[in-house]
Amino acid sequence: MTSDKSSESLDPAVSSLLSGMEQRAAEAQLPRRERERLVKQRLKIQARRDQRATYDLPPMLREQLRDLAENVGVPASQLATLAIARFLIDYRANKIDLDEYKQPSRSPRYDWNLIFPEELVPRTKKKKGGN
Amino acid sequence: MTTTIAFANQKGGVGKTTSAVTLACGLAAHGLSTLLVDLDPQGHVALSFGLPKSPALYRCISLDEPLEGLTISPRPHLSLLCGDRSTEKINRQFARLEFPDSVLADLLTGLCFDVVLLDLAPSFNLLQRNGLYASDWIVIPTRLDPLSLDGVDEVMALMRELETGTKCNRGYSILPTFFDRTTRDTLTQFRRLVDEHGEHVWPPIPQDSHARTALDDGQTLWDFKRTTPAMEGIKSGRHHLGGYRQVLDRLLEVIHDK
Repeated sequence: MTSDKSSESLDPAVSSLLSGMEQRAAEAQLPRRERERLVKQRLKIQARRDQRATYDLPPMLREQLRDLAENVGVPASQLATLAIARFLIDYRANKIDLDEYKQPSRSPRYDWNLIFPEELVPRTKKKKGGN
Repeated sequence: MTTTIAFANQKGGVGKTTSAVTLACGLAAHGLSTLLVDLDPQGHVALSFGLPKSPALYRCISLDEPLEGLTISPRPHLSLLCGDRSTEKINRQFARLEFPDSVLADLLTGLCFDVVLLDLAPSFNLLQRNGLYASDWIVIPTRLDPLSLDGVDEVMALMRELETGTKCNRGYSILPTFFDRTTRDTLTQFRRLVDEHGEHVWPPIPQDSHARTALDDGQTLWDFKRTTPAMEGIKSGRHHLGGYRQVLDRLLEVIHDK
């Protein structure tokens, strides 16, 4: 029955709701012009939100994507878009078989987990300069 | 292995039955065999399904009748062990026992259900103590007002008292209900709850008149309208925060982790 009350450990929905409510309460105290500016800013952010998604990715994969984006000088989001679009095309063309990676899941929410081989999705950093 | 989850708050009218009924239906819809037990002599679990109250719990505990003949199944994977005012008599029987806290836990041991949900009454008599004692996890629904939050403190105190039992690592979650994010008081009390209980606070269930209308029709929220604020939560940008669907996910995580 112990509770860790740091904001990192809060339920993400609770944290998001609470910060939104506190932000609005603080904004209500501001002068009218400032409030209008913040409303415009919020609308801009909301418009951008439709393009955002959150997925859990292995850290090494994220690192590789970031490195590639830096090397070729493009945003990592656009590389991720290209990778997902190519995956969907290949999947629909039956070029990718998910059955290869399926393992039964014990979660009541999912039937399967996809377990990827190390050479496809590395979990640890490769040593540099090894002979 | 069966996971037993109690819905408790010493304050009445905080949404214990509505939460237990709605989440029981959700678990059953996920294919988990679920038993919902009404420990409240008001017998409102039966009414929530448009069924008559029944002395099933009394017959099971006090008259020792087999559970199989007493449960009702209003939908696939869901069984109800209903109650009525005869539930009160169970307390009198418990009062004569030397170790009265573990009767319900013993009764539930070995049942072939994935999940057992216990809807407790807003009081702490022996039957309610049995409910907490038998539980692996306790969900404490609460309105964000001082009296309901005092009810949360009372449940926590009783949980500590029962910690000496066999199930001494009970987890708990606090479920804010009747949530109205537009009032300053809600924000103050919500912040207080989060400061005191941190990760144990689950996303809230918004205030929603549909819950009452559904009850008037003898329907659960799943049957009445699945897109009500109480089910879907509060809209925030593209996302919904809180609501019974999201809380069901949290409950599934608890069951999965057990």
